[in-house]
Amino acid sequence: MTAPSRTGPQPSADDPRVMLDRDIGVFEPVPPYPPRTEREAEFYTLGDGQMLLNMGPQHPSTHGVLRVVLKLDGEKVVDLDPVLGYLHRGVEKLCENADYHQVISQVDPLEYISSLFCEWSPVIAFEKLLDVDVPRRAEYIRVLSGELNRIASHALFMGWFALDLGGLTPILWSFIERDEIVEMLAALTGQRMLFNYFRIGGVNGDLNHEFMSRLGDWMSRATKQIESNLTLLNQNEIFVRRARGLGVIDTAGALRMCMTGPNLRATGVPFDVRRAHPYSVYPELDFDVPTRTEGDSLARYLLRMEEIKQSIRIIDQCLHQMPDGPIMAKLPRLLRPRPGRAYAAIEGPRGQYSTYAISDGTDQPFRMRIHDPSFIHLQSVGVLMQNNLIADTMAIMASLDPVMGGVDK
Amino acid sequence: MNPEEPAADRALVVPGGSAVAVPIVVRNELWSAADPAAYDGGRQSDITHLADVEASGLARRDDARWSGLLEVIPTKADYVLDLLRANSLWPLLSGLACCAIEMMSAATSKNDMDRWGMFPFRASPRQADVLIVAGTLTTKMAGPLVRLWEQMPEPKWCVAMGDCTCSGGRYKRSYSTIEGIDRVMPVDVYIPGCPPRPEGLIYGMMKLQQVVKDRRGQWPDRAVGPTVPTDV
Repeated sequence: MTAPSRTGPQPSADDPRVMLDRDIGVFEPVPPYPPRTEREAEFYTLGDGQMLLNMGPQHPSTHGVLRVVLKLDGEKVVDLDPVLGYLHRGVEKLCENADYHQVISQVDPLEYISSLFCEWSPVIAFEKLLDVDVPRRAEYIRVLSGELNRIASHALFMGWFALDLGGLTPILWSFIERDEIVEMLAALTGQRMLFNYFRIGGVNGDLNHEFMSRLGDWMSRATKQIESNLTLLNQNEIFVRRARGLGVIDTAGALRMCMTGPNLRATGVPFDVRRAHPYSVYPELDFDVPTRTEGDSLARYLLRMEEIKQSIRIIDQCLHQMPDGPIMAKLPRLLRPRPGRAYAAIEGPRGQYSTYAISDGTDQPFRMRIHDPSFIHLQSVGVLMQNNLIADTMAIMASLDPVMGGVDK
Repeated sequence: MNPEEPAADRALVVPGGSAVAVPIVVRNELWSAADPAAYDGGRQSDITHLADVEASGLARRDDARWSGLLEVIPTKADYVLDLLRANSLWPLLSGLACCAIEMMSAATSKNDMDRWGMFPFRASPRQADVLIVAGTLTTKMAGPLVRLWEQMPEPKWCVAMGDCTCSGGRYKRSYSTIEGIDRVMPVDVYIPGCPPRPEGLIYGMMKLQQVVKDRRGQWPDRAVGPTVPTDV
């Protein structure tokens, strides 16, 4: 039969004859062009008994719009090919056409779970370009709000990781924690997710009463609450046995794959940018850098939970040591740094965020390169997933905690 | 049934506008109340017609059908179906970017969209009624998203959540984003905000429920088949 015409009475969408004529439903795993690289030619050549399976870009547990082509032998993943770019928003190019203040709002949605860290590294880079001294109170407020954001991010990680292993309850608990923290930050910054709070030379607003009272409420029971949340998972036999030994990577492999942050520390390297290359007021604060040696998914999970406790320690010290004073350095409205280059790295919840900015003397950055840990960590997925089952692929990916906004920029 | 038979021969024959259809009475022979005095002891109600209700002054005509004064509820099947649809909207679990986190927040304990019948989030488009487009739509994602929309069975509705999906938002000037999803698919409700709060999403979904009940959605008028050019 012929295809239904666009004029005249339309057939029902439930009519199977209509569905047959339409070319929808199948997402071809093989790209429509001939292989462009040796790697592509190798990947898309199937061995005996192997098959290709497309996963994504809309998949409930890929943490965004990641597409992965899996090469399977039975239920074992032999190889995989991530296809990126489904959330490429051209942020770096937009930053080149925005002035230095507007850049902060452009980089905000990169890692939308930990927006303050996305703002932090460009702001430090621009301050280096401009040679500004940030008031100490502003630095303390940055550390305080940043650590709160780190806890919110790690709390969400707990829920998602458990969700990808099949547990539905922990995500409800983790969203309770996360909602309390973002409401607190909303009182401080005016927004729940994309805070747009840091400014070049300080922060946007001083601590206010609502923020402090919400923070006090939360701090009084935070440790207890988080401990009780952790008993949901840490003592769960199914969860622990499933996550232990899953996606193991050793120290040399992690360093070769350029891992940073909790994923690197889970392999035993005590590298933390806050300690290794101190910035802001972290040298004045007392906290530990937890490490583990196993390098598996469970170690990455437990390490993040340990970091939550360290963050609470830092927040407590910030509140006790918070100095009085201004929250913004004196700066002209229009910023024109002298020509030069600046690099700034910070420790985010996922690893090392860094920004490399080049100024050509105008009010817009000539080039701004954003180094995002999610993107770097995603490249090790191929190493971690080999010879695991399909059901484990998402669990391993969740244990690396990538955010697709940061991957695709 | 013969598959070659034209569809019109099997269609339900509806009487003309002036004809009075004989009501279908389904007698209750399966169930009886434990207490014989309950429900007026099974007596017939004195009031049997909407006109009687109005004359008695107990309820206005619009309220009469739900007032409980009548034994039967005179209504249209479409009205009942819309009521059912509006109160069990099954959204598609498809987050694109930042707004997806707030969408999840709206679904979890604190905000709990389930209270208004906007649950559960389905992972398969075949089982979903509502497509909540949460997050920036890029040119690369547009094809897969439209394909998801086409895979959803009718009737279906689309909610644009966030500035990026309404108009392009803060990424309007980018080379790789689509300035508003209404360029590639019909939209019933727009929810502004970057991102909107979970309460904003719930408010938008309540507006969508009103749209469904009022039959103002896009789907009855929408042509069946791909709504976008193939080169998107």
